[in-house]
Amino acid sequence: MDDYQTCPKCKTTKYRNPAMVLMVNACGHALCESCVELLFAKGSGACPECKCPLRRNNFRVQLFEDPAVDKEVDIRKRILKEFNKRQEDFPTLREYNDYLEEVETIIFNLVFDIDPTNTNKMIDNYKKENKDITQKNRNRQSQEEMELEELLEAEKAQQCEKANLYVNAELEEKKQKHKAREKLIDELMFSDADAKSIVASHVQATSALAKEQPKAAAQPSSGVVKSSKFSSGIQIGLRGQHTNSFLPIPKQEDLPLYRYTAPVFDYDGPPPPPIEKLGKLNYFANIRAANITERAGGYTEAMSCCRALQEALGGLFYSPQLTHKTAVLATNPSTQDTDDMETT
Amino acid sequence: MLELKRALDAKGHCLLEMPSGTGKTTTLLSLIVAYMKAHPLDLTKLVYCSRTVPEIEKVMEELRKLMNYYEKEMGMEQNILGLALSSRKNLCIHPSVSKEREGKVVDGRCYSLTASFVRARHAADDAVPICEFYEGFDAHGKEFPLPPGVYNLDDLKEYGQTKRWCPYFLARHTIIHANIVVYSYHYLLDPKIAEVVSKEISKSSVVVFDEAHNIDNVCIDSMSVKITKRLLDKCSNSITILETTISNMKENDSKRLEKEYKRLVEGLRDATIARETDMALVNPVLPSEILEEAVPGTIRTAEHFVAFLKRVVEYIKTRLRVQHVVQESPAGFLRDIHTKVCIDRKPLRFTAERLASLIRTLEISDLTDFSPLVTVSHFATLVSTYTKGFTIIIEPFEDRAPTVSNPILYFSCLDSSIAIKPVFNRFQTVVITSGTLSPLDMYPKILDFHPVIMTSFTMTLARPCILPMIVSKGNDQVAMSSRYETREDTAVIRNYGNLLVEVAAAVPDGIVCFFTSYLYLETIVSSWYDQGIIDQLQRHKLLFIETQDAAETSLALINYIKACDNGRGAVLLSVARGKVSEGIDFDHHLGRAVLMFGIPYVYTQSRILRARLEYLRDQFQIRENDFLTFDAMRHAAQCLGRCMRGKTDYGIMVLADKRFSRADKRSKLPKWIQEHLKDTNCNLSTEECVQICKRWLRQMAQPFSREDQLGISLLTLEQLQSEEMQKKILQRAQGV
Repeated sequence: MDDYQTCPKCKTTKYRNPAMVLMVNACGHALCESCVELLFAKGSGACPECKCPLRRNNFRVQLFEDPAVDKEVDIRKRILKEFNKRQEDFPTLREYNDYLEEVETIIFNLVFDIDPTNTNKMIDNYKKENKDITQKNRNRQSQEEMELEELLEAEKAQQCEKANLYVNAELEEKKQKHKAREKLIDELMFSDADAKSIVASHVQATSALAKEQPKAAAQPSSGVVKSSKFSSGIQIGLRGQHTNSFLPIPKQEDLPLYRYTAPVFDYDGPPPPPIEKLGKLNYFANIRAANITERAGGYTEAMSCCRALQEALGGLFYSPQLTHKTAVLATNPSTQDTDDMETT
Repeated sequence: MLELKRALDAKGHCLLEMPSGTGKTTTLLSLIVAYMKAHPLDLTKLVYCSRTVPEIEKVMEELRKLMNYYEKEMGMEQNILGLALSSRKNLCIHPSVSKEREGKVVDGRCYSLTASFVRARHAADDAVPICEFYEGFDAHGKEFPLPPGVYNLDDLKEYGQTKRWCPYFLARHTIIHANIVVYSYHYLLDPKIAEVVSKEISKSSVVVFDEAHNIDNVCIDSMSVKITKRLLDKCSNSITILETTISNMKENDSKRLEKEYKRLVEGLRDATIARETDMALVNPVLPSEILEEAVPGTIRTAEHFVAFLKRVVEYIKTRLRVQHVVQESPAGFLRDIHTKVCIDRKPLRFTAERLASLIRTLEISDLTDFSPLVTVSHFATLVSTYTKGFTIIIEPFEDRAPTVSNPILYFSCLDSSIAIKPVFNRFQTVVITSGTLSPLDMYPKILDFHPVIMTSFTMTLARPCILPMIVSKGNDQVAMSSRYETREDTAVIRNYGNLLVEVAAAVPDGIVCFFTSYLYLETIVSSWYDQGIIDQLQRHKLLFIETQDAAETSLALINYIKACDNGRGAVLLSVARGKVSEGIDFDHHLGRAVLMFGIPYVYTQSRILRARLEYLRDQFQIRENDFLTFDAMRHAAQCLGRCMRGKTDYGIMVLADKRFSRADKRSKLPKWIQEHLKDTNCNLSTEECVQICKRWLRQMAQPFSREDQLGISLLTLEQLQSEEMQKKILQRAQGV
């Protein structure tokens, strides 16, 4: 990973040595702490990158990822100590803004070493000219800062108040507990009732109070079992290995659904007329009609008639040589015959 | 309608709760249109805000019906112009740009084709590509307004195709003189967009927020900023791009930078700001007196500003390097940034504005890379502008994965009234409406406004077509509840399972179940799997589960609908506050029953929520518990409302938690549900619940024709004019 901080001298990274601390000096080049100790053992030396002379005392811990920003902030703090005019010191906003820009340019020049002689001259000039104001402003806070301070103060006060509220609530609770205890002792001392019952009622009362407080203790889940997981990490399919679950409901075998198919009979003869048609074909003329008692049981004359016809026609084509296939073929032309037979 | 008319007359805001599927949209549209016709001076415009594109289309459909009716009855062309507006992504007709999928990319490419400097360059050099549709619109479209009529998104596109005009800019331009504008919430609530799109809408307009039960969250989201480590890294990249572009420009064309500089020195606001295409970047809400001021000198030149940005980004980076959670107020943040990197509050406030100006000057046409930097600049501006109502929370890792370092800075808005306040102040009437707004009194408090009318309507129904029930215990008399202490209890989970199995056996077609969170859903399903309940359930219906993955969920939904359509029947397990609970309707056979397992409280350990609760308590005197219950109940009601989308529809609503039967929860349900929730149905066991279901379903399964509704929930003209009905209406009007 290249986004780890690296010391340019010894190439140690933050990843390999988490304790590594980078330091920067006025030139804005970083070095790790151990390199600083090694190179600047004498107290002063040259920066390994830009060769500018540095003192060991001036090394500070690097705050930002980009050491250039550290350098800039450093210079900025120094400059702003001197250039601390406020908006109140200028007659118009425009002049104030011009001033701000000038300051910004000075800082910019210092950071990037543009035209150092002129810049330093400018700073010196300014220092001379504005000594009084600088001195005065150092002790004065700007309006904005004051506003912020005020806000922070108010926030703090509010927090204090809230904290007090909580503390008071807690105290109240403690007091109540204490009271309950004293009451129990009093009762034990002076009441005529059975001591056991008094203690029992007291325990009940306190437990009722305690119940109101929410308990916060989640059950730790049992050991990790290999299984498929949800996105949240909850596992499914712990069947049989889950220690605190009860027996699963026995799974019923899912049988295939029942489907009705009409039975196919092989009469081996001309097909008998279907039972519904018997009445139309006038078969009932030849048989006895079912009487009331027979019909009560669900019997109709069609049934026996149908059975009789099936028996009569079944097996008419039977011959040991014929294969089944030809028998089936033979049934078709024979329908004509059966019709004739029926009419006779 | 009566209430609405009163609100319009009083020129005040109103809050209306109307059950879904009872013609809410039509009612609102027809009355407001009629009002506009009757009092053209008092009321000039209707702005209808909805949530999603399909909802916008639905509104347009209703409006078209209404206009057709007007035409038929009045016999002449209506002089009313209604139009829908959506993002460039939905409206672009440029042959290659419109192929892009992502909204941001479309915006960026559109900008690179239509920005004023690109067009200026094109004038000099024909090789620079521009958008012919925008050119067409710019050349001709501005003089000829859209003819009156109703235009939805497709109509606009078609019109644009025939005229070769850009539909997006046409719609944006037409907003000014259109009578009815339908668009998304964000165009009005998000200060970054509202400034651009909705600036010109006059005060004498009516604003309707439909489906507004979540409006406070929308407000908060629009003002909150989330900054991650990756975002900051991208920012550093874009800063380097800025640096190189500036140095290039200095060498080649230093005039332009000088010009910008001069303008800033003069304190003049950007003259180009009036150009519509350049407004891809706008600062969030700033008090206007600040905007009039000149940009402070510290960030006036381009180099200084880039160095300034660098310092801001580096500073935030150091802040993200924390080991434990930090919560801070904006004031504390400002002081810290001052001491650490010497940045004052004032230049910070101008960051967003200055960045926009710089990008425009540099003529960077590809804006997509700069969105992280823009986010940071918005953050800088917001943090220095508002000291109240916001909090900064820096979390070094997520709660779920405490070992993975993933620092995030949340700049979270705590006060939903900040974003919506300009809307309330600017327009004479704001109507907030939804199927589920109960309890009504909470909204004025959290949005900080004073409605003149606040009512909850019920439905007049020819038959009891909803059956709300509170099931509090299983057949073994163990109480059912999703309370934290009992949610791991196998007995409770089994009871929930049995309830679902038995309901699934009794109810035909689709059943939708809502759980309180994804975590809870997954725990329960894994437990049901162990207990064999899933097997039992699958004997009756197919099972579908919503997950956090949007694609997976939509696939599950499609198959759920398929299973319901072909009669197999299905159960959908989903999560309150999830995708399914918001905006997907389960009408008729798609949702014959809704089961709500537990009360959908939010995750109360979240620091952002804690901060918001604290703020609400301190500022608005809303107790934490009240707000949590309110929030839970509105989501529960939202879930229950999914199954009921019209008068001919019917559905069972089962609230499976003991706590629902308490008065404080029950009274927070919408009136139209409460009306049907009988006392006898408030403390049922599973068995009793199934018995009631069966009886009710048999009753509902009877043929239901138009004639049955006539005279009760549907009136003919004669019936409406009958004396008896008139008396009733009069009574109602005086009663409220």
